[in-house]
Amino acid sequence: MRTNLASATAIALFLSLSTSAAHAEEVTAWRLFISDHADPKVTVIDAVDGGKLDTFKIKGPASLHRSESGRTVFAVQGSAGVVTGIASGISFEDHGEHGDIDVEAPKLAGVEITGKKPSHFVEHDGDFAAFFDGEGVARIISEKVVLEGKSDFREVKTDAPQHGVAVTYGSHVLLSEPNREKPDELPVGIRVADEAGAPIGGIHACPDLHGEASSGNILAFACATGLLVVSHRDGTPAIRHLPYADSLPDGKTTTLIGGRGLQYFLGNYGADKVVLIDPTVESNAFRLISLPTRRVHFAVDPVRAKYAYVFTEDGQLHQLDVVKAEIANSLKLTDPYSMDGHWSEPRPRVAVAGDKIVVTDPLKGVLHLVDATSFEKTGDIAVEGKPFNIVSVGGSGQTHEGE
Amino acid sequence: MSRTLKLAAVMGVITSLPIIPSVAAAENLKVVASFSIIGDFAKNVGGDRVDIITLVGPNGDAHVYEPKPADAATVGSADVVLVNGLQFEGFLQRLVEASATKAPVVELTKGGEVLRNTEEEGHHDQDKAAKGEEGHAAEAKEGHEEGHHHHGEFDPHAWQSVHNAELYVKNIADAFCAADAAGCDTYRANAESYGQQLAALEEEIKAAVAEIPEDKRTIITSHDAYGYFEHEYGIKFLAPEGVSTESEASAADVAALIKQIRQDKASAIFVENVTNPRLIEQIASETGLKIGGELYSDALSDENGPAATYLEMMRHNITAIKGAILGS
Ligand SMILES: [Zn+2]
Repeated sequence: MRTNLASATAIALFLSLSTSAAHAEEVTAWRLFISDHADPKVTVIDAVDGGKLDTFKIKGPASLHRSESGRTVFAVQGSAGVVTGIASGISFEDHGEHGDIDVEAPKLAGVEITGKKPSHFVEHDGDFAAFFDGEGVARIISEKVVLEGKSDFREVKTDAPQHGVAVTYGSHVLLSEPNREKPDELPVGIRVADEAGAPIGGIHACPDLHGEASSGNILAFACATGLLVVSHRDGTPAIRHLPYADSLPDGKTTTLIGGRGLQYFLGNYGADKVVLIDPTVESNAFRLISLPTRRVHFAVDPVRAKYAYVFTEDGQLHQLDVVKAEIANSLKLTDPYSMDGHWSEPRPRVAVAGDKIVVTDPLKGVLHLVDATSFEKTGDIAVEGKPFNIVSVGGSGQTHEGE
Repeated sequence: MSRTLKLAAVMGVITSLPIIPSVAAAENLKVVASFSIIGDFAKNVGGDRVDIITLVGPNGDAHVYEPKPADAATVGSADVVLVNGLQFEGFLQRLVEASATKAPVVELTKGGEVLRNTEEEGHHDQDKAAKGEEGHAAEAKEGHEEGHHHHGEFDPHAWQSVHNAELYVKNIADAFCAADAAGCDTYRANAESYGQQLAALEEEIKAAVAEIPEDKRTIITSHDAYGYFEHEYGIKFLAPEGVSTESEASAADVAALIKQIRQDKASAIFVENVTNPRLIEQIASETGLKIGGELYSDALSDENGPAATYLEMMRHNITAIKGAILGS
């Protein structure tokens, strides 16, 4: 256990903060959590000074998710059958006129959720739902409970193992419906379950369901036929189908991310395109953007709402203007990373940490830093192994004496 | 951008083109209004010299509105952007940033009498009124990371006082004059004649309130949208939700309100067009108050509704309030 070490670091950090913070002071803190493509570990890096804060040993190579609040990072280890909770150490408290930031050492939260083949991991309003494909079961836990170090989850079952997804929605849960005729294929729709797990209404068709995201108060699932768009109606989810426009070429979205600050969705569409989606309109909802080569990864900018980023196999990072629906800037960062070969091979991933865009370069063992304002490369941070998935947490806030 | 300059530029184009485009339409001032009530004011001041796009439309809730990339494009190509300010539009800062607009973003509550947000007390007291310029100082703070916004120090619903509506109209006329000097006389004349309608409206409201016995002037709505109405006209409003609809009322807030309703002997309860009616229905059934209808708080109705304009909205509200109280 690392508890002792972690708390010692926390005390040291606390002392250094309180000596410099005689009164209210603006503090900026950003942390990068990076998983390795081969080794079971998560490395934590201080994005402000580039120094390594800690390395957490986990059970298998992981994909990473950060919570909306940024207080928790989850390592989903599909092959090892476990989801591990990590307390990021950075939290904010809203005081109306200002926000307070609290910075402690990152540490393992002491929470593990085990099961067969964990896959999609989705947060909605502070509740996390981890879907375990091998069982067709979702295990749901709140952030509050995770940060208390308790592994108290509740379970919601679907009818069969599937590469599925679950999303909590108030007292309801949205669950993917397995393909009964062809159990190895993607789910065929979404059904709504009440608090007790009983289905409400029928199945909302969503063939080849894969990919979901939230943007503001709207949740969306990607289907072969379009999007399922979920919004509130008197406290219950209202679900409608937004079909792909006839003007789009053949294709479908299988990875979806949600805009922050502006409400939109960004999805893949064919190997060398992305699509911007306004889920609130009936016509002109889809705007297709062609990329110079095949797409490796994409991310939205949570600070500069106007921008999203796409990394392509030629080693370029592209700045996407989501208002104009066009590539505004491109920057060569790495050697080519061909999309030939297995989807899970080590390839770059993108995260945004305040005014920096960070791109992992697994085969070189570095993180590339790009200034988000000038869109110029500003530096590298070396990371042992093959740095792969990356998430960032942080921001600015005030600290006060005695806190 | 100066209207005169643009006109000259277009004239140059016209002389070289055999087909004359619709000059009047092309030359109108492009105005973006943040929500429906401001859109209506702008229409009354701008007349046919302006084209108005309203971001948060009829029955929409600007407190929790999520701007789209298309809204950023709209704001980006505007000549004038009209907003309420006082952090009513929680989305404003990120939208303006994303739009990269060069247009002036005009806060229409500027220079007005501004009430403090008395959220803790759950309702507004007249002695909490703060006057003057400080009202628009509370700019949305650049807090931590994404789009999160804070409740303001002030109550943003200033249009609920007709007296303040006159200020909105004056500020709109000033903004239009600055953007289009050639139309200034028209804007001033429009503002003047609309101002007369506002003055008449205010007299109607005061006369209606005077008919309500003083001990029956407490009513319930969903959220604290009527602080200015209360301050100006002497109807006391209690609400389970605060000045923003963003955070839901807690069970404790609702229990406290129910207790207060019994003590204050509230005379009527209303649902609002921008909020979910369920909570009000629950409070009505627990207190035995009959729902007196729907009030329009932060948005107009659609064209076919009873509150398609600001004048209609205010008349509808006071008529509904008076009717429910006197009929109870
Ligand atoms: Zn309001």
